[in-house]
Amino acid sequence: MTGLTRAIEDARIAFATLADRVDGLAHPTLRIGVTGLSRAGKTIFTTALVHALMRGGRMPVFEAMQSGRIARAVLEPQPDDAVPRFAYEAHLATLAADRAWPASTTRVSELRLAVRYATPRGTERTLTLDLVDYPGEWLLDLPLLDMSYADFARQSLALARAPARAGVAGPYLAMVAARHADALADESHARELARLFTAYLAACRTEKLAMSLLPPGRFLMPGDLEGSPALTFAPIDPPALGTMAANSLGAMMERRFEAYKNAVVRPFFRTHFARLDRQIVLVDALSALNAGPAALTDLERALDGILAAFRTGRNGFASTLFRPRIDKVLFAATKADHLHHSSHDRLEAILARLVERAHARAHGHGAALDVVALAAIRATREAQVRRNGETLDAIVGTPEQGQEAGGHVFDGAEEVAVFPGDLPETPDALFDPSGAGFRGIASAPAGEVDFRFLKFRPPAGIGAGAAIPHIRLDRALEFLLGDRLA
Amino acid sequence: MTDDRVSPQRPPRRPQVFRLDDRDLTLAPPEPEPDDSSAAIPDPARKRSGAVSRFGMTLGGLFWTAAGGVASLAAYVGLSRLVSDLYAQSPVLGYVGLAATAVLVLVGAVLLGREVAGLARLAHLDRVRDKAASAIAQDDRALAEAVARDMLRLTADQPPLARARADLRGHLAGIIDGADLVRLTERTLLPALDARARQMVSEAARNVSVVTAVSPRALVDLVFVLYTAVSLMRRLAQLYGGRPGALGMVRLVRHVLGHLAITGGMAAGDTLVQQIIGQGLAARLSAKLGEGVVNGLLTARLGLAAIAVTRPLPFTALPAPRLADVATGLLRKAEEDEAASPR
Repeated sequence: MTGLTRAIEDARIAFATLADRVDGLAHPTLRIGVTGLSRAGKTIFTTALVHALMRGGRMPVFEAMQSGRIARAVLEPQPDDAVPRFAYEAHLATLAADRAWPASTTRVSELRLAVRYATPRGTERTLTLDLVDYPGEWLLDLPLLDMSYADFARQSLALARAPARAGVAGPYLAMVAARHADALADESHARELARLFTAYLAACRTEKLAMSLLPPGRFLMPGDLEGSPALTFAPIDPPALGTMAANSLGAMMERRFEAYKNAVVRPFFRTHFARLDRQIVLVDALSALNAGPAALTDLERALDGILAAFRTGRNGFASTLFRPRIDKVLFAATKADHLHHSSHDRLEAILARLVERAHARAHGHGAALDVVALAAIRATREAQVRRNGETLDAIVGTPEQGQEAGGHVFDGAEEVAVFPGDLPETPDALFDPSGAGFRGIASAPAGEVDFRFLKFRPPAGIGAGAAIPHIRLDRALEFLLGDRLA
Repeated sequence: MTDDRVSPQRPPRRPQVFRLDDRDLTLAPPEPEPDDSSAAIPDPARKRSGAVSRFGMTLGGLFWTAAGGVASLAAYVGLSRLVSDLYAQSPVLGYVGLAATAVLVLVGAVLLGREVAGLARLAHLDRVRDKAASAIAQDDRALAEAVARDMLRLTADQPPLARARADLRGHLAGIIDGADLVRLTERTLLPALDARARQMVSEAARNVSVVTAVSPRALVDLVFVLYTAVSLMRRLAQLYGGRPGALGMVRLVRHVLGHLAITGGMAAGDTLVQQIIGQGLAARLSAKLGEGVVNGLLTARLGLAAIAVTRPLPFTALPAPRLADVATGLLRKAEEDEAASPR
């Protein structure tokens, strides 16, 4: 059964790829996937990227733009009619008018950009960019394709019972303990289980815990599937004896898990993910550092799950026609503006440590992989503070309303300088297996944490005509686009 | 509480928040104006590799030092004897001799100083290139900034680059990684110089080929080729900020020939065919013309080697010139001549 399903899926993917390639011969097209876990800054990155290509800006490292070879970039109607358009104008307006960050990505969206450029030899060409913005949580669903319900339940429950999460998982675990998989299937029980499971996942995502590994991804971003049976399941302990009766609760859960895979995961993989050429994965390492070692470990596992999804590798002839492979992956530690630039190398080192295993895997397949610390929109300035005879490298920005540090709650208008703490010289210090690498707000009292990264408001003065300040966005563009504009 | 986990040397510093009116707070200027004169230039002082003995000197170096010492002593003895002899004949003659000797020594010292400065400038180019290479390899921001500042200083006397220099100075304040900064420096400052260097090489190659073709004697060719090659190297070094003296020229020529010897083998693949074609084409016309083309190609190769050793940055962001770039005129000219000659 699964063999047949997989063969059909592969055939459909191959067909779609072939169609894309034939189309690509006439109009060179590059599909760039922008993803990252929740709050990593996907929307902001995409907005800034489009803005930079259309309006230009200070981009010394992006050679094509610096040397003036890009004539213009214009928005075009996107090719996929069933996918929502990325609301670039609305996001830019939110940034400009309200000085607030745009709403986060809860579904896949797409934007097409035609870039008119001159090659270094002088011929004018057009490169069509398709930017696909989708939640990184959905990537965590891809490993589910190879899992049975029993595997899924075992893993999820083990995660929920881990000490870092057990606190928020309490009500759900109590419900699981009360319900037996052999019990008769009952819709109201299933709904209650799903509700508590979703509540537990949502609680894991708050700033204090900042957990990342929270499959299935659609539970937190249901979209139009909310309330459907495919989303009304939850992991429960499988029965002690191997088989479940056809009308038992366990069997119902298993059926719905399979439905989730068929109705949600496979279509996403086929229509979006399998067609990407380049991928940028945004990682908010700072939130994990903020929260504590458990969050960092969780982030590492989540990234591992994401990376397993990438079929990276250099495009050969046969694979180009039928099996698309992402040939360049960029991992970006976002919100680099929350640190003084002297610490950026250390942030990059932490990210490199997080994606180490993926790096080894991708290297074997010949895919180019890079790590960068960036801020698509730079919300801070830098400053130095002399205190107790030493100089602290601080950053200056306006914290969002309601942010709190050192017993002080900010009103959203006051500008302050923040010294966020010293990142260690070697990232290994943070990944202490005992969980004592550093202290975050999840476990330590507010006065004793090692790092504190506040959320800042966007800078003033963003507008349709003005360039947006950034950190290393040009380097990311050079990596993702540079070779295709040459 | 043991705080050995963040940094063994220093306890970790806790996050802190400061008000902007704090007296101890200095805001980074939004667009800092980098000041070349006051900026501290970190010098990595990478040791040049070479057979250096335990006493910090090679045997050859010791020999030349000793020889120099002996020669200076001999010169001193000779001069002092000459002056005292002159003095013995007539005091006036002695004073004149003394004055002449003083002028001789003084001017000699100045000349020597200029030579040393020329050598130092050449060595500086090498050092900048080494620094740039390691800044790219290690993605080292501080090193890259030093390279960029060196390049700004090297090109300071080139008026057409004023705009490019201002651009680069502005970018120095931005947050750019080391390797990217070196590439940016290359892309900003060097395209104009590279174009001129290419033109110089191709002109020299053309001149050599024409003179060889029309000159009556082989000796004239030889002298002209040598003269052109040396002056080409000198002008290239000047273009890239080297300004070598006479001793510097000797070193530069050695350097270029060494480079040619290393790359010659590798370049054979793409140049030999052209050389044979050029030769074959032209040889059918006249042996003399064929010689001209070959000499021209040789000069072009020499010029490319000279670019490689005098250019202060390695070719990373920009493509290195190939023989075809500087010798196209030469080959085309040979073809045109051939096409024109039957009539």
